[in-house]
Amino acid sequence: MYNARRLALYHYWVAFAVFLPAVVLGVWQMLMRSPLPAPVDDPNLYYASVTLHGTAMAYVVTTFFAMGFGYAVTVTSLGRPLKGLAAAWIGFAICLIGTLMAVAAILSGRASVLYTFYPPLLGSAWYYSGATLLIGGSMIWVVLMIVNMAAWKRDNPGKPVPLAMFATTATALLWAWAASGVELEMVAVVLPRAFGLTEWMDAGLARTLFSVTLHSIVYFWLMPAYIAFYTLVPQAAGGRLYSDTMGRLTFIMFLLFSVPVGIHHLFADPEIGAGFKFLQSFLTFLVALPTLLTVFSICASLEIAGRHRGGKGLLGWIAALPWDEPMILAVGLSLVMLGFGGGGGLINMSYDMNSMIHNTSWIPAHFHLMFGGAVVIMYFAVAYEMWPRITGKPLHSKRLARWQLWLWFIGMFVTTIPWHITGLMGQPRRVAIFDYSDPFLAPMAWLVVLSVIGAVILLASAILLIVVLVRSQIGDAVLQVPLRYALAVNPPVRVPKALNGFALWNAILLMFMIVEYGYPIGQFFFLKSSVPAYEVTRQLTGVR
Amino acid sequence: MMARSQGAFSTDHPWSRIGWMSFVVIVVISSVLGFVVLSRYQQNDETLDLWSAICRSLGIPVAGGPATSPRPPLRTPTELAWSQATITRIRAGNAERGGFVALNCVACHEAGAAANPAYVIPTLDGMEADAIYKQLVDYRSGKRSWGVMNAIARALTVEDLADVAAHFAARPGRLQANSGERIPQGGRAFRQADVGARLVFAGDPQRGIPPCSSCHGPGGYKLGAPTLSGQYTAYIERQVAAFAQGIRQNDIYEQMRAIARQLSPEEMQAVAAFYGAQTREQIAAKN
Repeated sequence: MYNARRLALYHYWVAFAVFLPAVVLGVWQMLMRSPLPAPVDDPNLYYASVTLHGTAMAYVVTTFFAMGFGYAVTVTSLGRPLKGLAAAWIGFAICLIGTLMAVAAILSGRASVLYTFYPPLLGSAWYYSGATLLIGGSMIWVVLMIVNMAAWKRDNPGKPVPLAMFATTATALLWAWAASGVELEMVAVVLPRAFGLTEWMDAGLARTLFSVTLHSIVYFWLMPAYIAFYTLVPQAAGGRLYSDTMGRLTFIMFLLFSVPVGIHHLFADPEIGAGFKFLQSFLTFLVALPTLLTVFSICASLEIAGRHRGGKGLLGWIAALPWDEPMILAVGLSLVMLGFGGGGGLINMSYDMNSMIHNTSWIPAHFHLMFGGAVVIMYFAVAYEMWPRITGKPLHSKRLARWQLWLWFIGMFVTTIPWHITGLMGQPRRVAIFDYSDPFLAPMAWLVVLSVIGAVILLASAILLIVVLVRSQIGDAVLQVPLRYALAVNPPVRVPKALNGFALWNAILLMFMIVEYGYPIGQFFFLKSSVPAYEVTRQLTGVR
Repeated sequence: MMARSQGAFSTDHPWSRIGWMSFVVIVVISSVLGFVVLSRYQQNDETLDLWSAICRSLGIPVAGGPATSPRPPLRTPTELAWSQATITRIRAGNAERGGFVALNCVACHEAGAAANPAYVIPTLDGMEADAIYKQLVDYRSGKRSWGVMNAIARALTVEDLADVAAHFAARPGRLQANSGERIPQGGRAFRQADVGARLVFAGDPQRGIPPCSSCHGPGGYKLGAPTLSGQYTAYIERQVAAFAQGIRQNDIYEQMRAIARQLSPEEMQAVAAFYGAQTREQIAAKN
């Protein structure tokens, strides 16, 4: 793996080292919300814990995993060393320092602002600075992905960029567009107030800017899973990718339709007019296109593999697939979760249906099933695929790995299905304690207990993951298998310039952003929507 | 670097045309639906003309429209708004000068004063400046009435109000500072045997009563809400009753009236007794 072996390994280990304690916190939070007695019974700690769990899972695990994956894909798909190795390590260090700052601030109890840190909630400046550094540091990775792809294109004029690299660069660009919202929010609204330079916070502007990030970040999390779908799954199944062009179009569409849609998170917010809410709701539905395209291509690729392996009949090819391969098992489980989670997502993004479930426990149930389920299970599969390539040591036990994937799948459903139902029954999210003797809440009690059981299963799976990875790493180095990406049925010989680069699509996205966000953000220059901060650390006026 | 050779804005190769055409089609269709159809033909509403429909979907209120229905006269609970100007004014309060103004107050508000044998006059030592200021403004404008307070407040300038508020806020006394941490009593306050403590820390969700402590401490704090830990029991009980009966009406959004109306006399007493017992000495003795 050329010069990126250690780099990728370090990124993965930070991601998984943060992952396990964050799962433990999640179990405790579920227990806290349930009628069962929780070990430490303190709502203050609950909000600190939700902040830590969210920050760890949404920002730290994902960013480090995506960066590590990106470096590994760059060197293996381009077949040459990474350009800018020193810069990559500097980026790693910045992200790590940012993470430590944010975690320390949360642990001190002075940043219980939840991972969305919506103003006018205000926590410690250390938390915001840490998050800004983490996200800012990952921009080095973005630049490196673009630089590496551009350099390869210069050295290989007229040749198509390998799909894996094309998709990774799309991920990097998507993340740059996504992060622009939260970085602007930090620099323009939150940090000045946190450092005491301003007295008020423009909550409406901050929420609108954050919405730029809030939905596209989800696709940033999703992209490594989709890259695995297109480039690793057909190979693991022993077949070929159905269509290279479809892959390119999918990643281009994700880039286009995942950023100018964030206002669907603000349907209940008064500062945005109904017109823009509808506009972005409309665009959100277009995100379903690349997902449907992917489900089609992946099923087609798997069918090719299944028939190649001797599967006959209408559905016989499914049984013929190598289900003992963690990658194939993971993609099957992932697609099931994607189906259920995606169905819920259609409700969230609908301008009118959203009001049924807005801010209820349906929402965390949805994103746990989608991200925690469909996406993270692919992270596991990618790790199982990458580990032998990075360490040169075989995977400790495929059987344990399969157990881990199954436990995660079952645990995620046992957790999230009751969670969805309590949401429909009206249980709010982000609340530490419920009085289940209340006749309104009493019918939810057994459902929440079910979710706790699911959370414990998830914890068992997370522990198993670490066991498999650690035991694989301490084995003997005997293996030297290069990472191979799936070939397409018709390998690309020449592709149109537009499908081999991103200039056109960046330009179109820029126009989308101007149309979709120009007025919603611009209006705050004449709206007076600043409000006093609500500090979770200190009192408001400071006058006593 | 990838952009220059490609001519991202040109429309002379097919993918460019497809991309830009799709962009235009998507924007036009969604704009017509979102800005014209949606706000123009909504149910339960009069159909708007095109211009008003566009304004509404942008979030700009349109003048005119169906505003002819009679409205009840506006009754406001207070003339004070928590604007930046208000907070700046309170912060500018000069505690030293306030001490001079307060010479008029301490005859009754001094802890254990002879003029206050029944403890129906609150102690102000250590109360938040913003809470004191709001009550003075309300006395001044007649939004809250009590004996001599209206006349006294009217005799003061706005600057005096801020100064005297700063003065009392800085004085150490019976009242406990709210630490800003929320509900320190642990989650399962629902199971508290003591009615007062249960209402203070857990409220009563079945009746829509939030915990007193989320605004009045111990722990919680909301702008304009006074800390109650250490306040006189008799004073608190009397004020809760006044809110319940609608005698006192200067609470924004009727927050206190909505809560107090639902409390039984025994519960009012229990809450007041709980807060009255929270003096510095007793808390120290407990630990």
